[in-house]
Amino acid sequence: MRKAYLILILFLQFVCFSQNRQLLYNFTAIPQSSLVNPGADVSYKYYFGIPVLSGISANVGSNSFSAYDLFANNGVDFNDKVRNIVNNSSNKDKAQVNEQLELFSGGFRVGGEDSQSYVSFGAYQEFDFLMYVPKDPAILALYGNKDYVGKSFNLADITVRAEVLSVLHVGFHKKLSEKFVLGGRVKLYSSGANATSTRNSGFIYTTQNAGTPNLYTQIISSNLELRTSGIAKFTKDEYEGNIAEDIAHNTFFNGSLGLGIDAGFTYYFRENLQFTASIIDLGFVNQSKDIETITNKGNYRYEGVNPVFNATNVPKDVFDDFEKAIPRDTLYNKYTTWRPTKLYSSVQYSFGESRSDEECNCKGSTKRRYLNAIGGQLFAMTMPNEPFIAFTAFYKRSIFEKLDFKATYTLDSYSSKNIGLGLSGTIGKVNIYALVDNVLEYKDVSKANSVAFQFGINFIVPE
Amino acid sequence: MKANILNKIPKVLVFAFLFFSCSSDLDFDQAKDLKLEPAFVANLAYFNVPATQLVNDGSPQVISDVQGFDAFKDPFFRDNLIKAEFDFEVENTIVRAFKIEMLLLDANDQTLETDSYSVPAYLGGSNIIKYPTEVFENARLDLLKKTVKLKFIIRMESGPPLDKNSVGNLKFRSSANIYMVIE
Repeated sequence: MRKAYLILILFLQFVCFSQNRQLLYNFTAIPQSSLVNPGADVSYKYYFGIPVLSGISANVGSNSFSAYDLFANNGVDFNDKVRNIVNNSSNKDKAQVNEQLELFSGGFRVGGEDSQSYVSFGAYQEFDFLMYVPKDPAILALYGNKDYVGKSFNLADITVRAEVLSVLHVGFHKKLSEKFVLGGRVKLYSSGANATSTRNSGFIYTTQNAGTPNLYTQIISSNLELRTSGIAKFTKDEYEGNIAEDIAHNTFFNGSLGLGIDAGFTYYFRENLQFTASIIDLGFVNQSKDIETITNKGNYRYEGVNPVFNATNVPKDVFDDFEKAIPRDTLYNKYTTWRPTKLYSSVQYSFGESRSDEECNCKGSTKRRYLNAIGGQLFAMTMPNEPFIAFTAFYKRSIFEKLDFKATYTLDSYSSKNIGLGLSGTIGKVNIYALVDNVLEYKDVSKANSVAFQFGINFIVPE
Repeated sequence: MKANILNKIPKVLVFAFLFFSCSSDLDFDQAKDLKLEPAFVANLAYFNVPATQLVNDGSPQVISDVQGFDAFKDPFFRDNLIKAEFDFEVENTIVRAFKIEMLLLDANDQTLETDSYSVPAYLGGSNIIKYPTEVFENARLDLLKKTVKLKFIIRMESGPPLDKNSVGNLKFRSSANIYMVIE
C-alpha cells in the first residue's frame, strides 16, 4: 500500500459514531433498554433476543467534516478537499465509531408470580474507535514547515484509541416498590485488540533567532507512546494468517480480560413523573495478551553539519545523533485501559390516560397507562481530552397497545439539528424495533456528520 | 384478524421509511489520488573559524574537514524528495580572502560535486555575502541522493600574516529547502 494512503487513513479517518443511545434509553418497550439503564422499568415473564438480530447498532460521526466533504464525486481535486478539511478542523474535532452486535440475550422473572425481580444476561461484540483531528501533524504532513517558521507544531494533537472486544454480562433489577426500580449489571470484557495513544505531548519547532550561529533554531521534543495489545503479531513479517479471523478468535477466546459494572435506577415522584439515571461501563481491561508499546521519547536540537577544522575530530553523523536523542523503544509492559464510561439521566412527564382495549384487567392492577410522555435526557461520556455531553428532548407515544413511538431532538458537538425516530412494535410475541438517528440527514446521508441506527428482534412473553 | 393485518400496514410503512435514505455519489477511490507536497526548511551546515585558528605568515593555506551526512539512507526520504535548494551565507571579518568549497562525497569517498564560494577579504564595514541558491533537480538531485559525506575545504588566499592576536571570524551558515511529493 502506498504510504500516502496509509497516512490518509491515520490522519483522516472519516467514520465516526457517538455512543449516545438516546432513542433506546428508557424506551422500556424494548428489553435492550436495560443495557443503557439496568434499573429501567422493564418487565417480562421471559424474553430472548433472536441471536445476532436482537441488537445491531452502529454510529458514525465526525463533527468537522462529512463523507461528502472528502469523497464527493464532484470533480474537485481530492487533495484540495483534504486541505480544506484540515484547514477547517481544530484539534478538538473528533471522529468516532461505535458498533455493537448482540450475539445472544435473554431475561426472565425470578421468584413467584408476584415477584418483581428480573434477571437478564447476554453477550455482545463491540468495536470502538475515537480519534481527534491531528491538526498540527496534518499541517506538517500537507504543507511542511517552510511557510510555518515560528510555529510550534503540537504533537499532543495525536490522540487515538481503538478496541475490539466481547462483553459477557449478567444483570439483575428489582421493583423495590411501586415508586422505585433498582438494577445492576456485571460485565466481563474480553479485548481482542486494543491500540491506545492518548498521552502524547511534545512539539516540532522551527524559528530564526538573531545571534545564533545557525540560520534556524530547530527543536523536536517528542513524548509519543502507542500501546497495543493483540496487534503486535500482525505487524511481523513472518505473520501468515487472516487478521480478521485472528482478531475475532482472540476477542472471544483469548482476549485480555477486564471487569466492569453498570448500575441504574428509576424513581417515580408521582405516577406520571419519573426520574432515571444510570452509569454504564464503569470498568477496565487489563491489557495482557501480545502487548507491545512503542515510544519515541526525547529532545533534539537540529543544527545541521558542523565541520571542525582540526586534525583530531572524528566525523559525526547528525542523523545518528537524532536517533540517539529520540530513540524508538519497544516495551512489553502490561497496561490497563479504562472503558469509556457513560452517564445517562432522564426526567419524564406522562399524560393522557389510555382507555384499555381489553375488557377486563385480569391481574386487577390499578396502574394507569399513559399514552404520551415528554421529557429530557442528559448523556455524558468520558473521553481522553474533555467529556462528551449531549442533551436530548423527547416525546413518546403509544400509538396502539403494542406499538410505541419515540422521537428525540439531540444537541451535541456533532449536530444541533439531530432528530431521531424510533418504533417498537410487538406482533404476537415477536418484538421488532428500529431506532434511527439524524433522520433529517437521510435525504443525503453522505453529508451527515453523524449517523446512527439500531435494529433488533426479540421474542417476549409478557407478564 | 383483519384488524391485525390493518395494524401491520402502517408499521411496515414506517419501518420502510426509516430505512429509506439517499446518498450523493461518493467516490472512495479518490483516496488513491492523495498527494502530499510538503516543503521543509532545515539547517544544512555551519561553522565559525576564528582568525586565531589560521595563524599564518601570509602565504596560502588549506584546511578541511569531512562529516557524515546520512539523510539519504532513509529510503522514504530519498524516494519522495523531488527537489532541494541550498542557500549559503558567509560573513568574513578576517583580513584575508577565502575560497570555501563544499564537496559531496559518495560511499566510496568519490567526489560527486564540488561547489565553491569566493569570499573577499575584510576591509571594514559589512562583509556578508549571500550566494545564489543551488537548485538540485533531476540528474543533479540524483547525485545529491548518493551523498553520504560532506567535505568542507577552506582555501585561504595570500595576504597579511595572522597571529595569536589577529581578530575576526569566518562564519559560514547554510540552509536547505526540501520539497517532497508523497503519493
